[in-house]
Amino acid sequence: MNSKLSAKASDIPILDIDRVSMRFGGLVAVTDLDLDVSDGQFVVLAGSEGAGKTTVCDCISGECEPTNGSVRFRGRRLTRSFGPGVFWMAISIGLITGLLVAAAAVDIDRLWLAVVRRGMVFDRSFTFDSARRRLRSYFRAELALDRLAGKWRVVSADGRDVLVVCDDFEEAKSLKNQLQAAVTARRIGPSTVPNTSDMADAAEPSQRQPPIPDDTLNRLAAGKSRIRIRGWSALLAGWIIGATGVIVIWSRSRGSPHIAARAGIARTFQNPRLFENMTVRENVLVALDRMIPGGSIALLLRTPANHRGEQHAHIKANKILKFVGLGSMADHLACDTSLLDRKRLEIARALATDADLILLDEPMAGLDEKGVAVVMELLHRMKDQGLTLLMTSGSLSFPSDISDKVVVLDRGVKIAEGALTNVRHDLRVKKRPVTNLL
Amino acid sequence: MSDVKNWFREHWEIFAFVALALAPFGVSSLRGALGGQVTILFIYCILALGLNVMVGYTGLLHLGIAAFFGIGAYTMAILTVPLFPFQMGWLAATVLSIAVAASIGFALGTPTLRLRGDTLAVVTLGFGEFVTASLRNLEQVTGGMKGLNPVPPPGAGVSIMNIDLGTAFVVDPRWFYFLTLSALAGVVWAMKRLENSRLGRAWVAVREDATAAASLGISATQTKLSAFAMSAAVAALAGCLYAAMLSTTADPNAYSFNRSIMILCAVILGGLGSVLGTLVGVTILVGFDTVILPWIDTLLQQLLNHSPEGVLSFGGWRLAMVGLVLVMVMRFRPEGLIPSRQLAAELRGGQQ
Repeated sequence: MNSKLSAKASDIPILDIDRVSMRFGGLVAVTDLDLDVSDGQFVVLAGSEGAGKTTVCDCISGECEPTNGSVRFRGRRLTRSFGPGVFWMAISIGLITGLLVAAAAVDIDRLWLAVVRRGMVFDRSFTFDSARRRLRSYFRAELALDRLAGKWRVVSADGRDVLVVCDDFEEAKSLKNQLQAAVTARRIGPSTVPNTSDMADAAEPSQRQPPIPDDTLNRLAAGKSRIRIRGWSALLAGWIIGATGVIVIWSRSRGSPHIAARAGIARTFQNPRLFENMTVRENVLVALDRMIPGGSIALLLRTPANHRGEQHAHIKANKILKFVGLGSMADHLACDTSLLDRKRLEIARALATDADLILLDEPMAGLDEKGVAVVMELLHRMKDQGLTLLMTSGSLSFPSDISDKVVVLDRGVKIAEGALTNVRHDLRVKKRPVTNLL
Repeated sequence: MSDVKNWFREHWEIFAFVALALAPFGVSSLRGALGGQVTILFIYCILALGLNVMVGYTGLLHLGIAAFFGIGAYTMAILTVPLFPFQMGWLAATVLSIAVAASIGFALGTPTLRLRGDTLAVVTLGFGEFVTASLRNLEQVTGGMKGLNPVPPPGAGVSIMNIDLGTAFVVDPRWFYFLTLSALAGVVWAMKRLENSRLGRAWVAVREDATAAASLGISATQTKLSAFAMSAAVAALAGCLYAAMLSTTADPNAYSFNRSIMILCAVILGGLGSVLGTLVGVTILVGFDTVILPWIDTLLQQLLNHSPEGVLSFGGWRLAMVGLVLVMVMRFRPEGLIPSRQLAAELRGGQQ
């Protein structure tokens, strides 16, 4: 309401189309169109078939992005801005992608075994702390002791490579330390300094080195640091790919029609696009969607606020249907209605969104005289309610008292603008094919 | 009179569920193997209702619902089996697996939003195959073809009024019967509520005409994603019950494409977008397979007791019969057996 008042005060037009051009491949639909619509005005966009009227509607409602120029509604463009929501979405989806890629890269199978499963064999309670320790020891290629069937084994961190099996714990422990020293000595990379306690144990010459193949030790030593680099780079790459993907998808859907609708622009279509298999009332209720509060959980539990919203929406839907003259049709299926009713239902839906600007794409096309009169009368009442209307029309043969301004398009170019009577006598209009519709 | 009829049409589920809840006390065979089969039937009903959200309401062809069934079952198993350190309680594990499956459904939905019809079907089919292949091959995590077991019964270790719930679930199949029945009742209740809510209307609106829905301020993105997540969550609930009931995740083939197609057929047979229709479809297709056929077979064996080997078995004909039923229904009632009001109008409308 406030913005409405301030807009009026500063005399900014509610809709400001500035040098808009629209090209579909080689076909130029609209060329450099300028059009201002002020609050409460009824503007008619006239032109013969293929003059670009519907394209203008599409550009305003966000159906398509103009090739050049800008459409401003209440002084601002109707595109989503880059907010913190998008940022965090990109970060978190990127992180998930990164984790997935990293999981694939580091051989998740072994990692899982080392961190989760071997913990069970070892009979220690599972905490985040112990998980972190195991994760670290896995990447440091540390060996571990574990007990199976009463015997002590020296195993690799993930428990897959069993290096030695002993009966005695002390013996197993010192063997482990020896082997650990051997493995650590072979390691390459930043953290090659072996643990000092391991060194001390390894220095004891009492134990003989068990016959472990060199390549096993090499694999244990070398593999992990390589895996670590692979994992981190995969995480980073996945993160970048995921985040970029989110931003690309976001930027492609910036000008989606639902944003224009939520900002206060509703539209009807030349060929009514109803939800055919819903009842007339449900069609209107869909448009009242935003009136009903609550997320999906609230819907399930039917919280009081949600319930009230639902009831209010029903009442409002009935009121709107009565306003357009469909009160008695509320429970019919939309696909069973006549063309006039379909046109009226579309208008009802547009009204239900609580829009300030309603685009009417040929609301009278295909109707007989009686139907045209009904729609005309409805438009009059809508105008009296203070709504701003932009109507496209294939002819100029409507009563002159309803429109505040007429803009005539011919093959995408504006050829006349002004009051209806002036436009009718405009020479350029008379010369063009649109004249035969006068 | 018509008021009573309407009321009954609106609230049929109350009668159905009361009757089903009382059945095990009257029908003695429900306490034995038949009870187990019926329980599995309930689980498939839940799964089909999950699929119905996507295929029926939102009109997105989804061929990978069994993958979410599997994700639910396996997450449940990982969180509870003694092989893993988590060993959570049944309720916590169920809630967590539903959340995991819903977020995976959400993640699957994000990149596929612009796809529709057959393209989306191929993507979901691929996702289903991907999940089954992963379950089969990530042996250290999922146990490969052996599956993960034993999944403890619900309420293991909890005792109420001197009844140890865990043991009770193992000893008496009726416990599972009641558990799955109440889960099914909950899902049916939720679906009926969603149908007539903001979200349900938005789903149908996006199915009918996404452009028009967008021009009324409905974000197709959010609507479709919520359908993806909702259907994944319901399917995962079915998976959790399945794993708990069998006390194993069974082998990954239980979550393969075949199951997805069977459930999809059941939904289409019963009537897209209709809760009652979906339930009927599952009862006919799956129930025929698991309940009626074994029963007929036993009956036949008893009748032909004198013959040395069981020559005459009905079981071999099952796929042929399922196919025949599907063809007949699609020929004579393309909108399904008990269609939703909307779809019936759509298909009949073309003939008028």
